[in-house]
Amino acid sequence: MNASPSLVTVNPTTASASVPAQLVAALLLGLVMLYAVGFSEASVAHNAAHDVRHATGRPCH
Amino acid sequence: MLFRRLFLCALFVGLLTGLFDSAVQRWQVVPLILAAEVFEEAATPPKAEHAHADGVAHSHGPQAWAPQDGLERTAYTVLANVLNAIGSALLLMPLLAFWNRQRAGQPLALHKGYGASVRYGLLWGAAGWVCLFALPALGQPPELPGMQAAALQARQVWWTLTVACGAGGLAMLCLVQAKWRVLGLGLLALPFVIGAPQHAGSPFAGMEADVALQMQQLVARFVVATAVASALQWLLLGTLSALAVARWLSPLLNPVAPATRLEGTAS
Repeated sequence: MNASPSLVTVNPTTASASVPAQLVAALLLGLVMLYAVGFSEASVAHNAAHDVRHATGRPCH
Repeated sequence: MLFRRLFLCALFVGLLTGLFDSAVQRWQVVPLILAAEVFEEAATPPKAEHAHADGVAHSHGPQAWAPQDGLERTAYTVLANVLNAIGSALLLMPLLAFWNRQRAGQPLALHKGYGASVRYGLLWGAAGWVCLFALPALGQPPELPGMQAAALQARQVWWTLTVACGAGGLAMLCLVQAKWRVLGLGLLALPFVIGAPQHAGSPFAGMEADVALQMQQLVARFVVATAVASALQWLLLGTLSALAVARWLSPLLNPVAPATRLEGTAS
């Protein structure tokens, strides 16, 4: 009915349990993106990101 | 939901950082790559398989697509920079968020203003630069097109190992109890004990002596230019990431902390 009970509905236990999982999920997504830009073997990806690979010091050729 | 908001923050931070980084690279880094490619095309490499971005066959396949020089190539470089920055933000932000949460939200708390967030953001950004640029560059300095080097896969494995050991080693040195710190130093040193893959022979094989000399000078400038450009990128990325964590993520991170912002302006 009013705003204050909604604060109680947040369960600290479940909320805190899922926080690390969500952080790890984001971290893994970041790793996949960095792999795609920096290491992907596909020649299209290689040529599109060529200058960035050189500029960020990643092995390119 | 935390993941969704974190992802949106990473998109925003990555877009800003990637555009900034493209501008910085355009100034010192890209001209050196283009200059090296002139030499690369003029030289006749032993296997003639390294020319690229100019329509000549690349080692990955004779008909490989490559962006046209000029606007198209710049556009793809900007895109790759943005994706690279988003990926980096997706690494940095969860770590910052977790670290902030372990400290009960104190370091990046906004009620004291933005100063602490900026300070810790710069520190975490510097750590990112050390792990993802400086440490690998100590063993494998950034290369210019046309240079000969050891086998690609061996270098990629060493690069990945060095980044992982650097991140783990720095975390042990800075974030855990004193008795584990020695292990952190060992972890930092491990890739260099193993040693980066080395190329037998000159990196400028197949080039005329005077061209090789000019390439050598280009490489010296390139190492400095990439170090500066990536340092600026990481410092900005760290700062923006810390601000985003403080401003938009911490309300979702600390459910047991003061509940005033719990139901706040969730997007």
